[in-house]
Amino acid sequence: MQPFEYHSPRSLPEALRLLQELGDGARLIAGGTDLLLRMKQGQLAPRALIDLRRAAELHGISFSPEEGLRIGAAVTLRELQRSPLVRDHCPCLCETASWMASEQVRSLATVGGNLCNASPAADLAPPLMVLDAQAVLVGPQGERRLPVEAFFLGPGQTALDRGELLKEVLVPPTPGNALYLKHAPRAFMDIAVVGVAVHLRMERGLARAVRIALGAVGPTPLRAGPSEALLEGSAPTASLLEEAADLAARACSPIDDLRGSAWYRRRMVRVLTRRALDRLCAASLVGEGT
Amino acid sequence: MSQEQPTLIGARVPKLDAPLKATGSATYGHDVRLPGMLHGRILYSEYPHARVLRVDTARAQALPGVKCVLTAADAPDTRFGYGRDNVPFKNQVVRSLRDEVAGVVAVDPETAEEALRLIEVEYEPLTPVFSPEEALAEGTPLLHPDRGSNLFQTYHYEHGDPQAGERESDVLLEAEYQLPYVSHACLETSVVVAHFDPHGRLTLWSTTQIPFLLQRDLAEALGMDGSQIRIIQTAIGGAFGRGLDIYPFEPIAALMARKAGRPVRLAFTRAEDSIAAPARQPARVRVRAGARRDGRLTFRDVSAVLDIGPYVSWGAVTPLVMMETTASLYKVPHVRFHTDCVYTNNPVTGAMRGYGNPQSTFFIETMMDRLAEAVGMDPVEFRLLNANEPDTVTPQGLVITSCGLKECLQAVAARADRAAGESAAGWGQGTPVSPARDPFHGAPPSRRRRGIGFAATLNVGGGARIYRSDGCGATVKVDDFGHVTLVTGATEIGQGSETVLAQIVAETLGVSLDDVSVENSDTDVKPWDVGVHASRTTFIAGNAACIAARQARDQIFETAAEMLEVKPEELIARQGKVMVRDDPERSIPISKAVRRRHFRQGGRIVIGEGWYDPPTRLVDKATYKGNISAAYGFGAQMAEVEVDLDTGIVRVLRLVCANDVGRAINPMAVEGQIEGGAQMGLGYALTEELLVQEGRVLNPTFADYRLFTAADMPRIETIIVETDDPGGPFGAKGVGEMGGTPTAAAIANAIYDAVGLRLTTLPMTPERVLAALDTHQPKDGE
Repeated sequence: MQPFEYHSPRSLPEALRLLQELGDGARLIAGGTDLLLRMKQGQLAPRALIDLRRAAELHGISFSPEEGLRIGAAVTLRELQRSPLVRDHCPCLCETASWMASEQVRSLATVGGNLCNASPAADLAPPLMVLDAQAVLVGPQGERRLPVEAFFLGPGQTALDRGELLKEVLVPPTPGNALYLKHAPRAFMDIAVVGVAVHLRMERGLARAVRIALGAVGPTPLRAGPSEALLEGSAPTASLLEEAADLAARACSPIDDLRGSAWYRRRMVRVLTRRALDRLCAASLVGEGT
Repeated sequence: MSQEQPTLIGARVPKLDAPLKATGSATYGHDVRLPGMLHGRILYSEYPHARVLRVDTARAQALPGVKCVLTAADAPDTRFGYGRDNVPFKNQVVRSLRDEVAGVVAVDPETAEEALRLIEVEYEPLTPVFSPEEALAEGTPLLHPDRGSNLFQTYHYEHGDPQAGERESDVLLEAEYQLPYVSHACLETSVVVAHFDPHGRLTLWSTTQIPFLLQRDLAEALGMDGSQIRIIQTAIGGAFGRGLDIYPFEPIAALMARKAGRPVRLAFTRAEDSIAAPARQPARVRVRAGARRDGRLTFRDVSAVLDIGPYVSWGAVTPLVMMETTASLYKVPHVRFHTDCVYTNNPVTGAMRGYGNPQSTFFIETMMDRLAEAVGMDPVEFRLLNANEPDTVTPQGLVITSCGLKECLQAVAARADRAAGESAAGWGQGTPVSPARDPFHGAPPSRRRRGIGFAATLNVGGGARIYRSDGCGATVKVDDFGHVTLVTGATEIGQGSETVLAQIVAETLGVSLDDVSVENSDTDVKPWDVGVHASRTTFIAGNAACIAARQARDQIFETAAEMLEVKPEELIARQGKVMVRDDPERSIPISKAVRRRHFRQGGRIVIGEGWYDPPTRLVDKATYKGNISAAYGFGAQMAEVEVDLDTGIVRVLRLVCANDVGRAINPMAVEGQIEGGAQMGLGYALTEELLVQEGRVLNPTFADYRLFTAADMPRIETIIVETDDPGGPFGAKGVGEMGGTPTAAAIANAIYDAVGLRLTTLPMTPERVLAALDTHQPKDGE
């Protein structure tokens, strides 16, 4: 690993100032579970690291009935997994976090890091997308908000401009149910071969707020728009759900790599989308009846 | 009457080194730090096959913190290794991406690493050879032109008349198998520290499994005399066969220490270990086998091609074991076995736990299942009908003494019935899982299938004579406080040999386990041993320790007899005392008898010596027949699996393992060996594969090389079968390798039972299973 300067700003404004001053040679670090690995492997050699963990503005999880959940970018996966607020309002995010990586990695890795790496396989991306979450970006010009799905531009590429950083994620209150299914060879430790997140709610027998997001099957995590459109406002039947799953499989563009072949990934998108839809429709129907 | 004491044989004793390891105070290879120690790094080739035209080290040499840079010019012009085809630094031709071209010694590993990037190497690429088939084709470039062929060695074995066997067969089956590269994946990566003292004597701190052979091999590689080399074995964080050979990094570390004039540490990174440490050979195998209508086996015909990589290690000898399974697991009247070991520009391969047996047991035991089905028999009944029996000699010449194969098969089959009962009661109903955690993603029951499968194994259990000696030495010293020190040639690699040997010595001398310590780590101190391999340590080192302990006991009895005024034959050793057998009230402490020997004119010390080399022989060079081991271990496993028809995910619900270990000296250690073996067997079956493309390892880290973790393990049920072997210490046989050997076959057979697919490629990943399911979807109720 090459030598580098290490900065540990105590506030968000200080972090932004450092980012401005140090320019392109600097990298932001939080948990470091991806960045340090790449530095040790010689893929990255930043001149300076700006550690965001001491900036209080980036921490904390809170909830308000109007805005919903606010999750700081420096919140660790372990905090996310164990937060009573998240459990009450977005149990899907707790579950997603609970089987990412390992206990040790979850204690270091952060929500912001998972998103800013912009891996197509980032586990938090599909559930946040179907929960309609917003990313709050902050820079010298102030704050701006983007839907999480607009945050990803390509593998490793985000909508962050020069001098900007991810401050927090906002998840609006949702009356529906969400589910993320991750397909990986082992129970823990693995990067997703395919990830599928689905959100919907049943209203008088009709599916509403149908959102489907797919991970690890394209250059970015992506929404399965045609499937959503097919189901929105419909009375789900087995054949309709199957058709929606089929459309999702057609909407993605997976590649062959050492974690899985394109054909297998496409197939898993269909299977997991169908299974997630089945579960959510059943769960929502039960919920409706009570 | 004699005074009884609880026996230590069969006692569930925790490993003696467990507190050290659990508290982090054991000194592993990576923990060794010497005053003034420097750090070495190795520059590997950029091409799988190329001529090295020029190596320019000037810029590296000039980097501050660099002590010296080494190239082939720094090594003596001698070759080493099983095939005498390897050198520390490659001076003319590189034959794989792990070929060592140069090395740097610096004040820290980072500086050494940086200096590697400053070394300029000019290559002239040569045509690479990436498959054995290609390697053997006409006109393919030769890896070692002086050998005249890329075919290193052929093993050909026959007994009976295979053609007659075919004619006698009522059913005849054929299948082709594809077996992957797998990594030892030791927790501790390869590491060595080398130091020359002012007299020019080399000390090597090493995690080797063969300290005495390494002395000789290193001497050869360095142009030194073996007497000038001392090997100190550290605590070893996993070996599994990785340490069964000399590899270039060992002489390189010595060359570095010599040139730098200071101790040098060479420690691999994880990625480096996956690339530069040896892997299990991949193989392509064609199997034909037959049986009579009544279920008796008629013949087996196996042809295999092993990709051994660019240099030959002892791993190229694994066909001897594959041959043993083929020829002698079950009674088969006619057998032909043919294997070619072929050089390629792929990664280097070596010995790994089971030494060919996980491979051969996979193809033999899945073939057994198919034959059982073809003759319409239950797979367990079919195996029992053909099973080996005690006190027999196989056509290959294996002298089978104790044999619990049938008991093992019956024991696991009995648990299978219980599994069916549990299934009826609703398997897995007790613990609801959230859909996200459910490995089947909430697959509906109609899309899941359950099945059970069986497989058995035969493994050497009383040493394995692959060198001229299969011996081990031991001394047992008793001091005047009654403390006993066993100095054994055997090596502790985490398998628990220290504990088991201490139990054997304590039992023989009638002292408590607390009174015994074991020294086993220094070639200057310990007596010779061939190495830790072939599940041999309990049997061979156990017998040697037993002999030494009895001799020490006789010396104590000699003096105690004078003191108690009886004949030595009337004495027994119990509870730290020597007592008269028929009058146990008359006794003296062992310590007192020892002091009597020390504190007098013309006294003697108490020190017993033991040497045990089993009554076996090397296989005949032409026929490969002969009794290679003094005892044979047997085992059987039953796997229960669930298969998701839509994703191809296979989940092992239970693995029941029965092993004939002769006698379990320490049942807890036996269970540990079986469970650890099962973990490796599960990985071999389902997840582990070093992906190699054009000579390059694509997944050299644990992110993508998938070992079974604690969270992935199914329930492992172990059953110990005891047959009391006549040649083993207290009746014991080896169990070190058997735990994972039949696992892949048992799982493959269970998958067949579940969904009707015969898989012949490992690992059986969800993608492979689903691809196979696409050609054959079971109907409901199938």
